[in-house]
Amino acid sequence: MRRDEVSYAVAVRDDGLRKVTRLTWRVGAVGIVCSALIAVAFGHNVQHTAPHPAAPGTILIPAQPPAPAQGAGQVTSGAS
Amino acid sequence: MTAVTIAKDTFGVFGTTAVLLVSAPRVLKPARAILDDELAAIDLACSRFRADSELSALNAAAGAAVEVSELFAEILEAALRAARLTGGDVDPTCGRALVGLGYDRDFAQVQAAGDMQPRLTGSLSGVPGWRSVQLDRTRRRVRLERGAQLDLGATAKAWAADRCADAVAAQLDCGVLVSLGGDMAVAGPPPAQSWRVRVTDDHAAGPEAAGQTVTISSGGLATSSTTVRAWMVGGRHVHHIINPATGEPARSCWRTVSVAAGSCVDANTASTAAIIRGAAALPWLHDVGLPARLVREDGTIETTTGWPRDQGPTEAA
Repeated sequence: MRRDEVSYAVAVRDDGLRKVTRLTWRVGAVGIVCSALIAVAFGHNVQHTAPHPAAPGTILIPAQPPAPAQGAGQVTSGAS
Repeated sequence: MTAVTIAKDTFGVFGTTAVLLVSAPRVLKPARAILDDELAAIDLACSRFRADSELSALNAAAGAAVEVSELFAEILEAALRAARLTGGDVDPTCGRALVGLGYDRDFAQVQAAGDMQPRLTGSLSGVPGWRSVQLDRTRRRVRLERGAQLDLGATAKAWAADRCADAVAAQLDCGVLVSLGGDMAVAGPPPAQSWRVRVTDDHAAGPEAAGQTVTISSGGLATSSTTVRAWMVGGRHVHHIINPATGEPARSCWRTVSVAAGSCVDANTASTAAIIRGAAALPWLHDVGLPARLVREDGTIETTTGWPRDQGPTEAA
């Protein structure tokens, strides 16, 4: 292969790589913008449907069960 | 060794008695101020007996959607969660059933009225049910099916105890117990000996009343009973715990059920459901792992795993 043919092939290859790189960056940038738009558009739904910290699916048991004690109470638990 | 001093304040609210205990006397006054603000806001949102409450406006809306405050939405959400977790046994749409039984004003006035005539005739055949309540949490809009009437009584009181306890502990950095009509929540670091509670039928009973003393250090403790908020209507004895399946006061083998849970509202949910479920409540409470004390009509006591052994005599029937 002649020297000028090699140079031409290298130039064409580099040009192709630059185009692929630019395209990759553009696709990535468009993806980021679209993700941000989707997050803004539907973010409130995520907040609405996520489990509320105080609203789990079961009745919560106490971290410590009641312990036995003697004598009078400081307060009374009864119906009102 | 320094003795721990617990400060106490007792006052009336929601037609019942509130008790505030704090682990440091210096914070009693600001803690009471926090409770006053919180309870006033909750009363304005949820009272069935105030014409200016959000709940009254919603009950009068005749099926139309109503915009509500964030506070009301949170309390209603808690009530709907209680209904969901109990398969509808604890239902917020019992308002009309209670009005039909004459409970349409402050309970002191109901008692003072003596034997009343029923407001509604014929059977309600159950209450409309919690699924007749549509809560749009994002837009804070609520719609009740026409004919449905909310009563958030028990859930709102327990929810208020949780909210007040959390607010006091967070703002004043202390240990606190808030009891509203005997349903209580604790928050912050408890005193060294924990909070000592006398568990009995009536929250207004004295500290030596028949029952059992236990200590709690986290979450909440609630007691439901058919013996206390009871009155006469049409010559019969009725109480405020409505069985949603019948629209009538629950007929239970238990006269009183006390439950400890991760929060006061969860404890109240379980104790109320236990009264309505009757005999089936005992295996249910065992299964869900909730420490509970159940008193039969004859005074005999059952407890579930986690509830301390009762060392006292059998309670009087």
